[in-house]
Amino acid sequence: MSSVSPCPMQADEIPENVPADRVYDFDLFNMDLKDGYQEAIMRLQHPDRPTLIWTPRNGGHWIATRADFVTEAFRDPIQFTSKMVLIPREAGEKYNFIPSHLDPPTHTPYRALVDTVLNLRQIRNLEKRIREISIDLIEPLVARGQSNFTIDYADQFPIRVFMAMVELPMEDAPILVRYSNTIVRPPGNTKAEKMASFEGAIQGFYKYLDPILNERRGKGGRDVMSIVIDSEVNGKPLPHPEALNITANLLLAGLDTVASFLNFVMIFLSRNPAHVKQLVDDFDLIPRAVEELVRRFPVVADARTIGEDVDYDGVTLKRGDMILLPTALKGLSSEVNEDPWTVDFHRARPHHNTFGDGHHRCAGMHLARLELTITLQEWLSRIPLFHMTEGSAPEYMSGIASTVRNVRLEWQPG
Amino acid sequence: MAYLVPTIDGAADEQSWDPGMIKVNVVTREGTRICVEGTEGMLLMEAIRNNGIHELLALCGGQLSCCTCHVYVDPIFADRLPALSKFEDEMLENSDHRKPESRLSCQIPCTAELDGIRVEVAPKD
Repeated sequence: MSSVSPCPMQADEIPENVPADRVYDFDLFNMDLKDGYQEAIMRLQHPDRPTLIWTPRNGGHWIATRADFVTEAFRDPIQFTSKMVLIPREAGEKYNFIPSHLDPPTHTPYRALVDTVLNLRQIRNLEKRIREISIDLIEPLVARGQSNFTIDYADQFPIRVFMAMVELPMEDAPILVRYSNTIVRPPGNTKAEKMASFEGAIQGFYKYLDPILNERRGKGGRDVMSIVIDSEVNGKPLPHPEALNITANLLLAGLDTVASFLNFVMIFLSRNPAHVKQLVDDFDLIPRAVEELVRRFPVVADARTIGEDVDYDGVTLKRGDMILLPTALKGLSSEVNEDPWTVDFHRARPHHNTFGDGHHRCAGMHLARLELTITLQEWLSRIPLFHMTEGSAPEYMSGIASTVRNVRLEWQPG
Repeated sequence: MAYLVPTIDGAADEQSWDPGMIKVNVVTREGTRICVEGTEGMLLMEAIRNNGIHELLALCGGQLSCCTCHVYVDPIFADRLPALSKFEDEMLENSDHRKPESRLSCQIPCTAELDGIRVEVAPKD
């Protein structure tokens, strides 16, 4: 298990452009999570620590420790390309989702397509449907007085919202829940086994989608899949494999990120009844509270690939080097937000990078915010007070998108 | 020099004119006219919200990731505003109430040349 500590290494093990005093032992997939994920990732930031450090773990990569560097990197696709956006490098090389692994100008028309289906106006149109889905999941829980929120809601809600957007029949929800669980948490004892489960589920998902995409082509449907399959990029119809790819990305991008975030929020609320009361007493506060919670519980740390040799912060980043850009560094920095660890629903400027920045800023952020807002509205209107089950403990897992599971809640049955 | 500043509930208070402050004339959604003040460098959005006009939600706090600080700016002031960025333009496109005078007030810092600017809070989307 690693924290963030300087790591003496043999001189011949460190790449020649990495100064020995920048080497730290940091393993994104194996962090000390006993205090929680955000607490762990923020240990990267220290007033005496340089902006750029390097870890030998996961194939060796740089890590940014300051928010202004992260923001600048996200906004500079020439220097910080999306050639590989995941660590370890092998995962980054395999990752080919559109538009996430592309740089401008290739990226531009694909991003425009994704924005067409995910922009604020489109998402507003989904509100009624999303609310119905939320209510259908919450209603049966109320009389029970208890729930494993992770399984009963967080695992179910984002996939069903996706299914509503693409107009897939709800009877298919169990199949898709199974594929998506396997994709985000591939079972297996070894890396190879996990990779095989992951790829099997992706192929299974493509096989499921394939006939549906074909059936909808040219029919003028207004659901997300029809819009995608009938779209044009660079003046030509979108090729079928790219339509499959984009549809899969739309599913996956909003799955465990949203589920994870919902879990983090419910952990917080179950331990902070005064905050819950603020919302129950004034439902109009919920959208503002969502933004503050988005700031407080970031979950993503993805990477970029250095485009050309460049000097920064006294080191030379070499073309092809990978650098991890933890999104948490901005919102939880005391230089950006006063008293950053405190959740203050009235915070005037909850500035954060939870949705990233630049060309790849999360296209689904409006949907994410709406999913959170509706969840809180529908949950709190039925279950206005709840606590974590005595003796239970959330289970944190870190990675590119970090997660927490086993959120067990109890309340007076309504 | 004193002038009357109508407050949000309609009563009027006498205020001293502070030359360092930038006056912003706001029309709320229900048509109430209020003069508020901002300091140099403060965002127009903050000048409006800090003075009690909370219907200007400004949910994302100025990160260009929502459309809830949407205002209509009197065209006379148009050439004194910073240029519309691509991101701001895209965000405004999502409003059902966009007009040529539409701007996101979080993208406009209060400067001396905006003293006396007139803005209207855009309808809720």
